[in-house]
Amino acid sequence: MTKKTILSFVLALACLPSPSRAALKVVTTTQDLAALAKEVGGEFVEAEPIAKGYQDPHFVEAKPSYLLKLRRADLFIQVGLELETGWVPSLLSNARNPRILPGNPGFLDASEGCDILEKPKGPVDRSLGDVHPLGNPHYWLDPSNGLVIAQRIAGRLEQLDPGHAEAYKANAARFEAALAAREKAWDEEAKGLKGLKVITYHNSWPNFARRFGLDVVDFVELRPGIPASPAHLRSLTAHIRSQKVPVILIEPYFDDKLPRKVASETGARLVIAPPSVGAEPAIVDYFGLFDRILELLVAAAPAGTQ
Amino acid sequence: MRKTVLSLLLFTPPAAFAGTSALQASNLLNPNLSVIGWMQGEAGRRSPAAAVPAPSAFSLKEAEIGIQSVVDPYAKADFFVSVDGDGAVDLEEGYLDWFSLPGGLSLKAGKFLADFGKFNRTHTPETAFADRPLVHERFFGEEGLSGTGAALSWLAPTPFVLKLDAQAVNSPASAPAFGAGRKKDLLYIGRASAYHDLSEAVNATLGFSGAYGSAGLDFDPVTGSSASLVGRMAGLDLTMRWKDPHRSIYRSALWQTEVLWGRRGAAGASATGAKGFFTHLEYQFARRWRAGARYDYTELPNDGSVHEAGALGYVTFMPTEFSLISLQGRRERRSNGEKENLAWLKLTFNIGPHGAHPF
Repeated sequence: MTKKTILSFVLALACLPSPSRAALKVVTTTQDLAALAKEVGGEFVEAEPIAKGYQDPHFVEAKPSYLLKLRRADLFIQVGLELETGWVPSLLSNARNPRILPGNPGFLDASEGCDILEKPKGPVDRSLGDVHPLGNPHYWLDPSNGLVIAQRIAGRLEQLDPGHAEAYKANAARFEAALAAREKAWDEEAKGLKGLKVITYHNSWPNFARRFGLDVVDFVELRPGIPASPAHLRSLTAHIRSQKVPVILIEPYFDDKLPRKVASETGARLVIAPPSVGAEPAIVDYFGLFDRILELLVAAAPAGTQ
Repeated sequence: MRKTVLSLLLFTPPAAFAGTSALQASNLLNPNLSVIGWMQGEAGRRSPAAAVPAPSAFSLKEAEIGIQSVVDPYAKADFFVSVDGDGAVDLEEGYLDWFSLPGGLSLKAGKFLADFGKFNRTHTPETAFADRPLVHERFFGEEGLSGTGAALSWLAPTPFVLKLDAQAVNSPASAPAFGAGRKKDLLYIGRASAYHDLSEAVNATLGFSGAYGSAGLDFDPVTGSSASLVGRMAGLDLTMRWKDPHRSIYRSALWQTEVLWGRRGAAGASATGAKGFFTHLEYQFARRWRAGARYDYTELPNDGSVHEAGALGYVTFMPTEFSLISLQGRRERRSNGEKENLAWLKLTFNIGPHGAHPF
């Protein structure tokens, strides 16, 4: 190959037409954030998640193909609170897109303004497991936080695309009204869940539990991110028996072998619930996520609590 | 044109990079500090033909100190300092990286591991092995191919991931495939790599690398003058990964193969050609367990007529993502025909927010 041919090839690559700029390109770390961005962005936004709802958002590989999405993004939204600390920093620093770096209008940390639980009061270290020093990052599982996130995304879209500001405002208002109506229905459905004792696999349900009145009494993991030891499993079994815990709640990306064994030994019911939009193919939006979790919990809760 | 580039540089919006959250932002002026400890036990008798001197039964191979921070709105800096058990300090890498240049470009200046192949960019404690593949050890030395200079990287605007890297560094004295020539001699390295998701669970990276530089000096006793000898290398690497995203923390597999060809100038008009390769397969069979095997073959860069070959196997337990303990065994046939059997216990542990490895 001659030098001239190589040069022409490089120039041809550099001059490839950039994709259509009609819609704002929003890239989010999780499918929940993409669903909320679609709610308020409507037809003027193309929202795409990096991690799918069935993936564990703590452990996502920083694949180079994600750089292609990020390179063209106008807005990047992350859950924050160090949920994505293992993969987002290296993706952002390699994306060659200064618009979406922290400190710019194209970067949005969705946790700001949300009600964050379990912020450590004292010093933390890794002897506590995969503890999040800024608070529990699973905050999207409370619809009132979902509303805050949607409103903040709408605000940022207005800033980035002032020409469609009215549409974003209207979409946000419509989402707020729809969410308020749906929350009434959810509250009605979840009446029987008040005080329901549950054991969860990972500490990812505190916002959901507080919102719908569940009582999380223990975890399958010894510490966040640390698998259970045989001694811990024995204490878990004793805990379920002594406190009559009727439900073990786990995410679909965890191995259900141990929780299933504990459930069968104690008579507790195992509920494999989706923690995110897209965790099951039928869950295509933020409303569908709560519909499904509540449906599963209500079906599993003993008759006495309903 | 120069004015346009300058304006783009100056008006690229500022980017605070060290932290991506409100609390971390308060620590922006402090660099991220991390230390990786690497301790190793060794059993077995090393062949006298081995280039590496026999270590004690237990050794603190290295404490790798990482200091990483944003420098200004346009650049970040990474330093990796290694201190071995005897107290010898070495700057493994230390560079400034302008990561948000326009046009998909980034520019690095300082001392860094060369983008030759895929394996070379990884520091030994962060690899799966207690050693480095034979071909890398023989051609690039124990620490890998590195140098001080500049590196330009371009992420091409193609529908698939295509990255082109061009680097120029001072001629490295410790890489046997090359050699110290004149003071101002440079080593040029180029790499083209493509990445593709074959499915949601399987992906492949294919790379071609080339290097051209000085391989020492040819002294002419008649004229009393000396001329730089030339060393050339080419490399081909293929990495395939599998990980089911539905069960990402429990099962994964990796297959990596690198083939290297070298041609080193020698005194007189002759030159030596040599080649080598390694292939590595790893399977994660439980959340905290991995097993792997590697096969090595290499000719010597200064003598392509003799070769060494070996195989390594290991089982690794990772209590968490911040520490691991690995039992490894390697059988090798050295260039003089001697057999060498070694066993290792590798222990690494990580404190602080050490940066992610190159994927």
